[in-house]
Amino acid sequence: MPEIIIDGRRLKCEEGETVLDVCKRNRIEVPTLCYHEAIESWGGCRLCMVEISHPKWPGWSNWVTACLYPVQDGLVVGTNTTRVRRLRATVLDLLLARCPNSSVIQKLAAEYGVEDTNYEPRLDGDNCILCGLCVRVCDEVIGVTAIGTANRGASKEISEPLKEPPVDCIGCAACAYVCPTDVIQVIQTPDYRVIWDRTFDMYKCVECGISHITVEQKDWLIAKDNLPADYYDLCDICKRKHTAEKQKELSML
Amino acid sequence: MTLTVESVNSRIDEICADYPVDEASLIEILHDISSEYNFLPADALRRVSERLDVPIARVYGVATFYKGFSLTPRGKTIIRVCKGTACHVRGGDRNLDELQRILGIGAGETSEDLEYTLEVVNCVGACAMAPVVVENETYHRNATPTDMKRMITGEGSDEDEGGDE
Repeated sequence: MPEIIIDGRRLKCEEGETVLDVCKRNRIEVPTLCYHEAIESWGGCRLCMVEISHPKWPGWSNWVTACLYPVQDGLVVGTNTTRVRRLRATVLDLLLARCPNSSVIQKLAAEYGVEDTNYEPRLDGDNCILCGLCVRVCDEVIGVTAIGTANRGASKEISEPLKEPPVDCIGCAACAYVCPTDVIQVIQTPDYRVIWDRTFDMYKCVECGISHITVEQKDWLIAKDNLPADYYDLCDICKRKHTAEKQKELSML
Repeated sequence: MTLTVESVNSRIDEICADYPVDEASLIEILHDISSEYNFLPADALRRVSERLDVPIARVYGVATFYKGFSLTPRGKTIIRVCKGTACHVRGGDRNLDELQRILGIGAGETSEDLEYTLEVVNCVGACAMAPVVVENETYHRNATPTDMKRMITGEGSDEDEGGDE
């Protein structure tokens, strides 16, 4: 089992883990914006950069994204060195220029001593940092790939295909949920949900009447996971209640 | 030129028939569609998505990623004015100004009759011929505003092309 040293702490890790996995497990704080444990790491935001060296590489060190770099025995990692902090400050300076109005970015930047961006701030833009979490959750986790990226370079953006309300969307709002800067707007009422300029009817729990899933999402999940047609008739809370009652009955027997 | 969904669909089906039903065929198919229509019609992208079973979001991502693809109709003649360093220094801007004046369209635009599309590019790799203007596949060397007028209106013979200013 490989052992690595992070900020002076000798830590055991599993083969194939990334540096970030080890940091998370040992509560070593590394900032991230494009990372989510349910989604494959991408290394897009460059915020989790750490400094690495190894006894076998004398006098040599490098910066890598912790979320992508696999551990190897003897690796020495610095997560908060002066150089790392300076590098993250630059990344956050750039992100702040892109999204000067995002409170998430403002807060992170301030932690690294960046109060005002040194670059030309983009005043007319939204708070999207192009981390791609919305696109990746839709593709990898939900499996519908309703949204994607359009263009490239400076004009790259998250976009509905053909700039039309996405036909494949099931209104699950996972994209809005994972968005680190809360860019994706969701309007939720008891009867419908509006997201990506599309309106989805809500499916209500037969017992308590709470709207817990969109009709499209229910149909999609039932078809995808081969579930019984009434699987989503109860919301999570009512389902738990039923399970608890059943268990109570069983224990009384 | 009006494109009906039916005509686009049947043409796309023909094009797709030449390629394996695989995501890897996508760019080749988009190239063929682009040569056919000079741009990528939205209906064509929808059909390709269906035929290859690739989400439309991904097709759209690829179609918008490459500079060589356009999602808006382009003219029969595509004029690319080089504004790379060498062409810029040797007066490429004057050629662009003249073309904009004659055609009545700006850089990146297409004339309403779909005859011309005017584009600005950063280098066509022919700096020794600067300033360069590319008309479809024809490279006009040492191009002058007078050459531009001749190129569009057809006045004068091609023999003069490339002459010194």
